[in-house]
Amino acid sequence: MKNQALRKILGRLVRAFSVSFWVMFISFTIIRLTPGDPATARLGVEAGKAATDALRKQLKLDVNPIQQFFSYTNGLFHGDLGISLQTGRPVLDIVKSTLPVTLTLILLSTAAAVIISIPIGTYIGWSGKSSSVYAFRTLTSIILATPNFFIAMIGILFFSVRVNWAPVFGYTPQFPGNLKYLWLPVAVNTLIMTAVVSRVLSSSVLETKGEEFVETGIIRGVGRIRFFWFYILKPSLAPTVVLLSYMMGTMLGATVILETIFTLPGIGREMIGAVLTSDYPVVQGILLFFGFITVALSFTGDLIAFWLDRRVKI
Amino acid sequence: MTSNSLVSINELKIDVRITKSLRLKIVDSATFDVERGQILGLIGESGSGKTMLCRSLVGTLGRRGAYIAGGDLVFDGIDLITAKPSDWRDIRGKRIGYVPQSALAGPNPVMTIGAQLAEAIEQSENHDKDYIRKRSLELLEIVQIRRPEIVLKQYPYDLSGGMKQRVMIACAIAQQPSLIVADEPTTGLDVTVQAEIMDLLKRIRSEFSTSIILVSHDLPLINDVCDDIVVMHAGATVEKVSSAQVSHSLHPYTRALYSSRIDLVEPKGQLVTIKGQPPTVGQWPSGCRFADRCDFVVDSCRSASTVPLVSVAQDHMTACLRFDQIGK
Repeated sequence: MKNQALRKILGRLVRAFSVSFWVMFISFTIIRLTPGDPATARLGVEAGKAATDALRKQLKLDVNPIQQFFSYTNGLFHGDLGISLQTGRPVLDIVKSTLPVTLTLILLSTAAAVIISIPIGTYIGWSGKSSSVYAFRTLTSIILATPNFFIAMIGILFFSVRVNWAPVFGYTPQFPGNLKYLWLPVAVNTLIMTAVVSRVLSSSVLETKGEEFVETGIIRGVGRIRFFWFYILKPSLAPTVVLLSYMMGTMLGATVILETIFTLPGIGREMIGAVLTSDYPVVQGILLFFGFITVALSFTGDLIAFWLDRRVKI
Repeated sequence: MTSNSLVSINELKIDVRITKSLRLKIVDSATFDVERGQILGLIGESGSGKTMLCRSLVGTLGRRGAYIAGGDLVFDGIDLITAKPSDWRDIRGKRIGYVPQSALAGPNPVMTIGAQLAEAIEQSENHDKDYIRKRSLELLEIVQIRRPEIVLKQYPYDLSGGMKQRVMIACAIAQQPSLIVADEPTTGLDVTVQAEIMDLLKRIRSEFSTSIILVSHDLPLINDVCDDIVVMHAGATVEKVSSAQVSHSLHPYTRALYSSRIDLVEPKGQLVTIKGQPPTVGQWPSGCRFADRCDFVVDSCRSASTVPLVSVAQDHMTACLRFDQIGK
């Protein structure tokens, strides 16, 4: 019923908010559990106690952790994520300049993977022809077993060095100029995502194919397009959608390897840099964004899955 | 065979393709007719070929790699063996309705009940929305679903097993077909709901004079509803008898099925079972296939090449070599 569905969605929203809070709390705590004092790290061990204490005060590290948490939360609501210890730039600015690169990479490769996976996954699952299923399984296994940096390097070796279709490094934030730099990393990412997504989709389609209602649909004489959507794809799509939303979340962090290889100024690379220099406001800020985006993605994914198939529990 | 028969099945054989060269016989001698307005019960154990027979009537054998290997299958003057996809489009749904085996998995889980009914009503004709809605409500009322307006907007997920099966029946009768094939329509439903579904089928027959093929393995359940009973064993029709005469059956298998019923009204001390197991599909022994489990077996049962289905009385055919000694 309408109300019941609405209540489920609201419940899921409440859960998303509570997870967001814990993300905030954990990203704040975990960085403080790592060894090393930020003030000393910045000024060096030779700096006098007075100088370090002064910096501590400036960074609001002189009060107890609970007070620190409240002032941090308070800052968050005013759009203040602190400033970088290394460069003095506001963390929000850093996120604003690096996140779009990563998001473009992820969104483009997800879109491409979906467009490619739906026909392949449906065909493999529905036809059940043993020769094509075997070829498909072998190929996707090889792709999944190969590390992404290796595929990336082969891509560079071939497309950048041999045929010179893609620049070896560099980036420009303007559209459409950025596509010149992005297409190869997007292609590598798409290849890996397609392997996973089409596999999951094909096994869902195979499962749907054996269901009684499919037989009923055939006997009812449902038209081709209707049949494809309502009897094959829609009942099979929910697990794929949930998987996609999860993959997009984990990719935020995972693209760091691709960003490093292709020297893209993305958020993953920024994060690694910040971790290596104990730039904890930056790490904390980026972790927070990762968390929020992941929560938002999985909420959206669950919502779409629920819209597709009411049997899905959210 | 009367000319009035709606369905005429004669010596029908169905094979299934296992590998390129290996074929398995699923059904190899199905013979019976369905008269207009008749409810025919098709009884048999699992593996006796009941479901495959149903699929041959709706043209979905190919999906499971099965095909008709011989015999005749005629529906309302149309030869279903040579029917083309375009012929099937005119037959399925419109002239033959189908009620699936499992009530729980029958309706499409991602469509509302209203959408599924609309699909069943509309098919090739383009009716306007008001007509579809009116007809949907009417169908839901025929199958006795309360508060049909609400049910139209619900998903199968929201309905009980019995209600789902009522919806499936509503879909099957949407275009007033002359035949409904109900493949074990009460599997997974509890006993009272089973009885309700049986009543519903009976009412649909009397209201619309639809013929119904009712498949089951539960002879006592369907015996009250059916006019005739066809018993299948190991891919062959072994007996066709009117439901009133089932207790005077002349085939040991039918008798065994009948006496293994559980009488809830007058429980007897011992539960009667049929000894042994049905022969493996496709690996049937020569001679009578029931011989190993039969109490009346003699040597000639096993040595006979085939056991013909013979007419023993008006509307009574049996495939037992010793029928004249049974029932005495």
